Amino acid sequence: MDVVAGRVWVDERRPIRHLDPTLLIVTAVLVVIGLFAIYSATSQTLRADGFDPFSRVNKQAVTAVLGLVALLVLATFDYRFLKVYAGFIYGATLVGLLVLRIPGLAASDTGTSNYIDIPGVNLLQISPSEFAKIGLIVILAAMLSELRSPVPTVPDLIRVVGVAGLTMLLVFVNVEIGTTIALAAITVGILVVAGTQAKHLIALAVGALVLIVLAFQLNVVEEYQVERLLTVFDSGSVSEDARYNLEQSVIAVGSGGMFGRGFLQGSQTNLDYVPEQHTDFIFTVVGEEFGFFGSAFVLSLFALLLWRAIRIAYLSKDGFGTYLAAGVASMFAIQIFVNIGMVIGIMPITGIPLPFLSYGGTAMLVNFVAVGILLNVHMRRFK
Amino acid sequence: MLTLMLLALGGIVVRLAFLQVRDNPELEALGMQQRVRTVTLPARRGEILDRFGVPLAVTREARDIYVDPRYVVDARSEAGTIADVLDLREREVRATLESDGTFAYVDRQVDLEVADRLDALGLPGIGFLEVPKRYYPAGALAPQVLGFVNVDGAGAAGLESAYDDILAGTPGERTAELSADGLPISSGLDTVVEPVPGSTMHTTLDRQMQYMVQAALERAVRSNGALGGTAVVMDPITREVLAMATFPGFDPNAYSDAPIDAMRNRAVTDAFEPGSVNKIITAAAALETGAVSLDERFRVASSMKVGPFTIRDSHEHPIESMTIGDIITESSNIGAAMIAEQVGSVTLGSFMERFGYGRPTGVGFPGEAAGALLPGDQWDEVIRATVSYGQGISVTPLQMANVYATIADRGLWMQPTIVRGFERPDGTFDEAEVRRTRRVVRPDTAQLLTSMLASAVQEGTGVNAQIPGYQVAGKTGTSRKLDDNGHYVQRYHASFAGFLPAADPRVVIAVSIDEPRTVYGGLAAAPLFQEIARYAIQRLAIPAAPPVAFTPRAQGSS
Repeated sequence: MDVVAGRVWVDERRPIRHLDPTLLIVTAVLVVIGLFAIYSATSQTLRADGFDPFSRVNKQAVTAVLGLVALLVLATFDYRFLKVYAGFIYGATLVGLLVLRIPGLAASDTGTSNYIDIPGVNLLQISPSEFAKIGLIVILAAMLSELRSPVPTVPDLIRVVGVAGLTMLLVFVNVEIGTTIALAAITVGILVVAGTQAKHLIALAVGALVLIVLAFQLNVVEEYQVERLLTVFDSGSVSEDARYNLEQSVIAVGSGGMFGRGFLQGSQTNLDYVPEQHTDFIFTVVGEEFGFFGSAFVLSLFALLLWRAIRIAYLSKDGFGTYLAAGVASMFAIQIFVNIGMVIGIMPITGIPLPFLSYGGTAMLVNFVAVGILLNVHMRRFK
Repeated sequence: MLTLMLLALGGIVVRLAFLQVRDNPELEALGMQQRVRTVTLPARRGEILDRFGVPLAVTREARDIYVDPRYVVDARSEAGTIADVLDLREREVRATLESDGTFAYVDRQVDLEVADRLDALGLPGIGFLEVPKRYYPAGALAPQVLGFVNVDGAGAAGLESAYDDILAGTPGERTAELSADGLPISSGLDTVVEPVPGSTMHTTLDRQMQYMVQAALERAVRSNGALGGTAVVMDPITREVLAMATFPGFDPNAYSDAPIDAMRNRAVTDAFEPGSVNKIITAAAALETGAVSLDERFRVASSMKVGPFTIRDSHEHPIESMTIGDIITESSNIGAAMIAEQVGSVTLGSFMERFGYGRPTGVGFPGEAAGALLPGDQWDEVIRATVSYGQGISVTPLQMANVYATIADRGLWMQPTIVRGFERPDGTFDEAEVRRTRRVVRPDTAQLLTSMLASAVQEGTGVNAQIPGYQVAGKTGTSRKLDDNGHYVQRYHASFAGFLPAADPRVVIAVSIDEPRTVYGGLAAAPLFQEIARYAIQRLAIPAAPPVAFTPRAQGSS
């Protein structure tokens, strides 16, 4: 196998010439904007508390470099190997999620434990649910690219839903609603691209709705999450904290005006008024300090990112590549729209990070891996 | 799918435009409003100094301790700990910790070291505010004069209250953009109006003298089994009050524990019937107007019928022939009434007014009493008789001290003072206002009165005030007190007022003792006067002066 792979690499050195520079540049610019935003959101508080004001930015930058390495590694070998190991990759991510349920291994500093602490390694707190997104994309792409019929049949769909449902269930019980939504979006996105019939999609949607209602009935969802979800629909009926989140982020974005208050000049940002600002609410920094035009610029970068991902799905030489790219595109799209929508008050508040901008190691790594997959498919789009 | 994404993107852009362009002014104002806070910067309160610059009242840093009950985890155990450290009642602390709301004071103006000890325990929900606290280094020294400052930093009694606006200064203001945690930030708005510290008050009090006078007064009150007493020591030339004591007193550092009664500066706020010390005014009016001559003889019985009443001398005696000098020396009530008859009501009343009766001295103390004085033209013969020996009118101890200072200062009445002036923070000194003066009697009349007072101490009722080597001029007083219905009862007020040396007065002292077992001014008050005078001689380094000659006295007086 190795020998074969080596020969393929030597013989077809051409793939390196088919990189997608637009995708790379867009990614890099987003990461750099993210670093500036994180600095703005964290430096004041860190300095006031007697820490290095650059400590968060540095950590994020190091993660980005690691992400770049991961991207390069993923781009080097043919993406079709992913198909070979799809079951293994999927299984590994499930094991990662299960580890969270083992007491003692999960890092629990906020009550909910979404991270695994790796002893001795301070830099990396691994969040298995982030990797679960990649695992799901790979396994669904592999399954749907091996169909015997032109469109997924009902048994196919049942298998797909079973596979996706298992991941979603494990993520959901860890109280990560945002990631669960992302997983659902990935599944739907790939299914749509795979040509699933509309009636089947509607049936799936109805089933999902029933499950959600059941979940609420059985009190599986934490109360605070319900509250945050409800904020956007009825601001009168929810708690102070939930409304505060929304109010502050809307004030921050609105304070930006046309051109923004300038880098490090955002008072809402510098003064810690927006909770979770360097993570889920990072877009408020862009909104306040760079204004409408800055926000529009960042949005257009995201639009470029999505366009490149969809284009790659379209150009792919095989179904597997198409589905991989479609899955990645769905993942980015749902995160971008839900996250920004939440910050500007048109989406419910769910814990979902903004790709490449939000502070967070695993998410950053996974986003780079996703871009690596896109590049890989793009580089090897010729038969 | 692409359409869906474009729709979502478009939705976000539209919403952004709404927020950032249309609603921008409103949202920006909203943000500003929540970030900008105005904090009052307290002004440092001016100190109160004695005449030599020794601090009597200073301001130190302290802490108000509050609780945000929402963060209290275990109110029971936390209340126990706090009550221990702060020396409070556990039950009350617990009630505070369990109260509704987000803020409640646990204790206020706690000393730094105590607050630090509590802070070190790191109890949840407990917070500390920097506040100034007034501190009186000498403790219970002139507490009724100085007064105290309440927990909100405002003068609430005494000089602290009377001159609050000058002492307090002007608070400043800081308007700053604060973080959600209440920290100011570098890039934000931050304007500061610096507070203007208060001025330092220079009083005329002598801390040493005050201390000694208070101690002597307390001993005298206790040894006489009395209810209380006052003592005023004054410079007769400048009319600066060197000491002003009221017993019982209190410690202004713990004023909330003090009984309300102990807080009154009775030397200024309480008027009493002066008794025989008042006879000197009767004599002054007689001599100044020439109504009575020095060697004129009065046939004085031990009782006399005035209208429906009978007035008496303090002791039974046969009819005696007395000069005006005899009457003062022996302190005869009947004699005084006979002199008053010759002077006349209107004249006597106007002299009392000129000596300062019936209106506050203007010493600059809050709640100063005027005393009660009916105008002379409204007196009947009973009033004329009783007023002549000091019953039926009332004066404050300070007014009485100032009457004797007027005689000591050759007949010149002057407004007494307790505040020399104020030193501003920039070092400039504002002298207290120019004080009123008026001539009451001619210098030669004042000299005659001094002779009679010297005689009273040398040979009369005031022998207990004598000091070897110094000629003291003074007069005893014993007055009956009124009950609540205005009837005289068998309870007395003993007093002594005088100055020394008689020929060149350097200090005026007026003492009064409330309900001494020993009843008489000569017994209860004169020894206290003498003790204070002895100390004043040392403290003020008063040189002896040649004795003054006595006025003519009738033969055979006793």
